Amino acid sequence: MKVRILRQNSPEDQPHWETFDYNGPEDASVAAVLDYINYNDDIETDEGKKTSRIIWDCSCLQGICGACAIVINGRPALACETFIRDLKEDVLVLRPLRKFPVIRDLMVDRSSIQENLKKSGMFIGEYSGSDEREHDHQYSVSKCLKCGLCLEVCPNYINGKTFFGAAFANDCYVVASRNSAKSDEIRKTYAEHFGSGCSKSLSCMDVCPMKIQTIASIAKMNRMKSRNRKSE
Amino acid sequence: MDKVVIVGSGIAGLSCAIRCAGAGMHVVLVSPFPSERSQSVMAAGGINAVTSDHESGDSVSSHIEDTLKGGCYLAGRMAVSGLCSHAEDIIRYLEGIGTVFSVDEKGRPMRRAFGGQSFKRTYYCGSGTGKIIVSALVMEARRLEAAGLITRMLWQHFHSALIHEGVCRGVLLFDDRTGNLHPIYADAVVMATGGQNALFGKTTGSTQCDGYAAGMLFMQGAQLKNLEFIQYHPTTIETPQKRMLISEAVRGEGGRLFYQEDGKRVYFMEDKYGEKGNLMTRDVISREMESTGRDIFLDVSFLDKATIDNRLGEVRDLCMKYAHLDICRDPIPVAPSVHFFMGGLAVHLNHETNLRNLFAVGECASMYHGANRLGGNSLLAAIYSGNVAADEISGRASDENTHDFTLEIEKKKEALARMFDSQSRFPSLYIRNMLSDTMRKNLGIVREESSLRHGIEELEYYISIADQIRYDSSVNPYDNYSLTGILALARATLECALERKESRGSHYRSDYPETDSTQSFASLVSYDGGKYTVCPDKECFYES
Ligand SMILES: Cc1cc2nc3c(=O)[nH]c(=O)nc-3n(C[C@H](O)[C@H](O)[C@H](O)COP(=O)(O)OP(=O)(O)OC[C@H]3O[C@@H](n4cnc5c(N)ncnc54)[C@H](O)[C@@H]3O)c2cc1C
Ligand code: SF4
Ligand code: FES
Repeated sequence: MKVRILRQNSPEDQPHWETFDYNGPEDASVAAVLDYINYNDDIETDEGKKTSRIIWDCSCLQGICGACAIVINGRPALACETFIRDLKEDVLVLRPLRKFPVIRDLMVDRSSIQENLKKSGMFIGEYSGSDEREHDHQYSVSKCLKCGLCLEVCPNYINGKTFFGAAFANDCYVVASRNSAKSDEIRKTYAEHFGSGCSKSLSCMDVCPMKIQTIASIAKMNRMKSRNRKSE
Repeated sequence: MDKVVIVGSGIAGLSCAIRCAGAGMHVVLVSPFPSERSQSVMAAGGINAVTSDHESGDSVSSHIEDTLKGGCYLAGRMAVSGLCSHAEDIIRYLEGIGTVFSVDEKGRPMRRAFGGQSFKRTYYCGSGTGKIIVSALVMEARRLEAAGLITRMLWQHFHSALIHEGVCRGVLLFDDRTGNLHPIYADAVVMATGGQNALFGKTTGSTQCDGYAAGMLFMQGAQLKNLEFIQYHPTTIETPQKRMLISEAVRGEGGRLFYQEDGKRVYFMEDKYGEKGNLMTRDVISREMESTGRDIFLDVSFLDKATIDNRLGEVRDLCMKYAHLDICRDPIPVAPSVHFFMGGLAVHLNHETNLRNLFAVGECASMYHGANRLGGNSLLAAIYSGNVAADEISGRASDENTHDFTLEIEKKKEALARMFDSQSRFPSLYIRNMLSDTMRKNLGIVREESSLRHGIEELEYYISIADQIRYDSSVNPYDNYSLTGILALARATLECALERKESRGSHYRSDYPETDSTQSFASLVSYDGGKYTVCPDKECFYES
């Protein structure tokens, strides 16, 4: 199998494509393919040109830490839980997430996700008790990996701009639903950094590895709004 | 004290940072990646606590007894009492910051029982306890980040501690983005770098837990403790890159272990231990599996589909995704794997190491689990130890003395620059893989003197060549410079295992199969210019 990888030596360098031959096991994950190519005395492209080892991120290797999020054959996904046997194409094309600055090769700097949450005061503070019926969604949303796949696929998310995307909307819901005293403040920041910019393409849900129903967070945030308005 | 630097941002590092900042200190929280990537998010099962609404008959003293017994009476009673008696506060704290615990129809947190426990006292959050706790702690830390009390620094790898005359005054970090070494000076340093997976290659845990920091500090004078105690989890599946944990719940639901002989299934655990054989503790099952010398399978295919879907849904999905295996139809091929490290940096009750102002918390410290850890106790210990260290640090006066480390830092920068200069293509990963082969072969579930000695000889060889080889510098420089510390830690682990001439908890010696009551002391190991000295902690030096 041919493996095409978009490479970049440093944040300042220009990206370039390199192609490798992969002759390893057929049931490998994309993460295993990367390890396989890297585990050699000499790393060579398919044309025999010597090159450097491919840099990529990982930690859990079982789809629960979000480190290995990249773009695989055009689709944002986790490398450790995407298997080459499941791909329709016979070439594997890997590139780093485009929405974040590249550090090296497939490794990107996603700190803007955390920065946006910090800037917008996204913390519960003190839990005020919550409606039991909200429990399942709160649990599901708390599993967000902050992997950035939803932001990669989102037509409205641009790094450094004021629209913060699905990961942010979901956290807004957790905070507002677990600390009612903060819900007004959170509704405001939600409207500013999500509500006003979301065009509901909902592609974020298709790629979310934790299968988080962002649409439910949106609906719940909107309902929270009208409920509070009624009581005003 | 005013300023603390915490290395590692899993549950232990986060807890310590939040508590220090809560006391008004300025915290610098460093790690290569955000907390969401730490091993803590992988903890699935739960966290133990006896709370006021405990099961009838349960008590804090029962939790203490279970923990001491599980650890084969090697952990200190004072330490374990502190841990268990603060467990309720910790659960209440976690609830207070919004942790989404699993609750019953009345909204009360639910509990389950883990192996080695007399009662149901494990609180949990669905199948993702660690992840959900991390999410809550990250939010709470964010509150303090916004208040300017916690400063997070990502892309930072520990290089070494800045130590002068037995006092730690900061750390030297390698910054992935700039490629530079830089110092951070602080009144106290807290290590929260997790376990030591890299010693064994494939384990159930995260690739980030490599033990380097503990190994490097060991070489800089910190004592290590109880390294020979390594918990194997009996049921894991092999994938090309790691060993994936198959939850104990599978056996809890009736899963049966067997091997094939002459076309027939041999249910070896049931044959030897009766009906409940499959529910024996992790160490017993792991040893029995090993002693069969066969490929072992775990079968649940006889259960009805609804039970599998409702109770073992996560395991079903995991096996399908990673092994392409339908557990409703086929037995799961399982083997024991390294899972948890009871040993680590030796710390006093206040979590300070033998070096002043250097603390260690979470899995990188050795304190509460003795010779074997009970499931659900390590998340508790990660939080509790973080709190204990924070309270000690915030209550202590800053040391007025200073020391100029410029020369030492320059030397280390030069050594690193030489590594960068290399044109070699030789990956340091080759040595890491040789190391994990050695460790798996010689420090497995069953150990004996000749193989331990053989392991030490191999380690001596790796250590002797590791500094001579030029490595491929196109990888992250951390991968290269971390080798020395990792190898020292591995060698120390083998030395501890060789020195303990008895079997206790997770340490089983075929040449000394019995527990020896005269050896019920923790082992301590120290390093001095290439010399490794192991001695029992007879004076209970660290129980104070
Ligand atoms: C699959 C699995 C399931 C588990 N289930 C449970 C359970 O149900 N209940 C339970 O109680 N325990 C469980 N455990 C154990 C528990 O998860 C850990 O003991 C605990 O999370 C350790 O937390 P920690 O904060 O000490 O370390 P970690 O979460 O491992 O964090 C370590 C931190 O240190 C950083 N770090 C590492 N090296 C360096 C370096 N050189 N420089 C800078 N930073 C560094 C890492 O990036 C990370 O931020 C489980 C473990 C595994 C692997
Ligand atoms: S919402 Fe889903 S895709 Fe987005 S960061 Fe969270 S886990 Fe990743
Ligand atoms: S390595 Fe953790 S999600 Fe892939």
